[in-house]
Amino acid sequence: MKGGRWVGAIVLVLGALAGHGQAPMSDSPGRSIAGGAAVVYQYPEQVTVSAGKPSPVALHFRVGQGLHINSHTPRQEELIPTTFSIPEGSGVQLVKVDYPTGNDFTLPLDPSTKLSVYTGEFTILTRIVALPGNHLVEAKLRYQACDRSVCLPPKTITVPIDVIGQ
Amino acid sequence: MKRNTLVVGVVLLILATFAWAGWANWEYRKQAAEKLLASAAKGELVSTAAGDVPQYASPLKGKAAPNFALEDLSGHKVSLSSYKGRAVLLNFWATWCGPCKIETPWLVELRNQYASQGFEVLGISTEGDDLAKDDKTGRDKQKADVAKFVQQEHMPYPVLIDGDSISQTYGGLDAMPTSFFVDRSGTVIAAQMGISSKDDIEANIRKALGATK
Repeated sequence: MKGGRWVGAIVLVLGALAGHGQAPMSDSPGRSIAGGAAVVYQYPEQVTVSAGKPSPVALHFRVGQGLHINSHTPRQEELIPTTFSIPEGSGVQLVKVDYPTGNDFTLPLDPSTKLSVYTGEFTILTRIVALPGNHLVEAKLRYQACDRSVCLPPKTITVPIDVIGQ
Repeated sequence: MKRNTLVVGVVLLILATFAWAGWANWEYRKQAAEKLLASAAKGELVSTAAGDVPQYASPLKGKAAPNFALEDLSGHKVSLSSYKGRAVLLNFWATWCGPCKIETPWLVELRNQYASQGFEVLGISTEGDDLAKDDKTGRDKQKADVAKFVQQEHMPYPVLIDGDSISQTYGGLDAMPTSFFVDRSGTVIAAQMGISSKDDIEANIRKALGATK
């Protein structure tokens, strides 16, 4: 019995060590806030739609922690809006895009200026028309992100979606 | 009994192998991350105490500020070397940058306050648009946007365009605003990424004015 407890304890310790090795690296001091994309496309990776007919597709994104991006309708003219597009010739046509309403946001050092932004998770609702067949679409999302003290340059990320027109 | 011992032994051996693999993987990934950071020529933001603005560790600090020649809004070429003997604040900013708009009035005040002591600000517009060199329409629009911003913010100091063309020599300029404080001998004595406070900016300006070789 005593031997069994020892074996159990050793198994637990070794299991913990094995698990720790697979854990993601924690943020280390010196990691640049500019490293990596500020916005990540989450899902769907693949959609099946009726070929030739407008079909709704909801696209889910996530803004990095501590960051915000301008909404599609920023309040200031010089700010860069978030926009979604599908390149021509992809076999899929974007017929409608409904962007979410932005949240109000103010910078600590300028509380009088209200920004319209997306933070955390947001969803863009689209209607697409696909030709028959399988289309690997490299859609684009353009955005410009900031945190409370710096702004990152405007960026366009690829939104890969496998669209099957049946 | 013997069989039980054998089974337990094999299980422990397998777990030990997994544990070693996990530790080795963690070490490898840690070293790879450190190698990546060390090989990057860019400055990095270094976390400080909670709530503080991260300090920008620029690789240019203590070195001669790379010379450049950029056009101002009138089309005249302005070179950094022409300011030798004066302390200069190189302020990289963009029209789409909210924090840049917040700090601009501070820069205007400090420039006017210390100009008589031999201090100047060079505002360098860095829009990050990746415009092609022959994209005249794009560049004209960019110039018009910058001119409008300059007028709105009442910037009295030289504003130079096409800061993207020198961004690599200044560490990559991953974020705006980014400022480099250059002393009278042309050495970068401080660098700042992001907005902190007018007092911080003034402290670096005074350091740049006072540091002589």
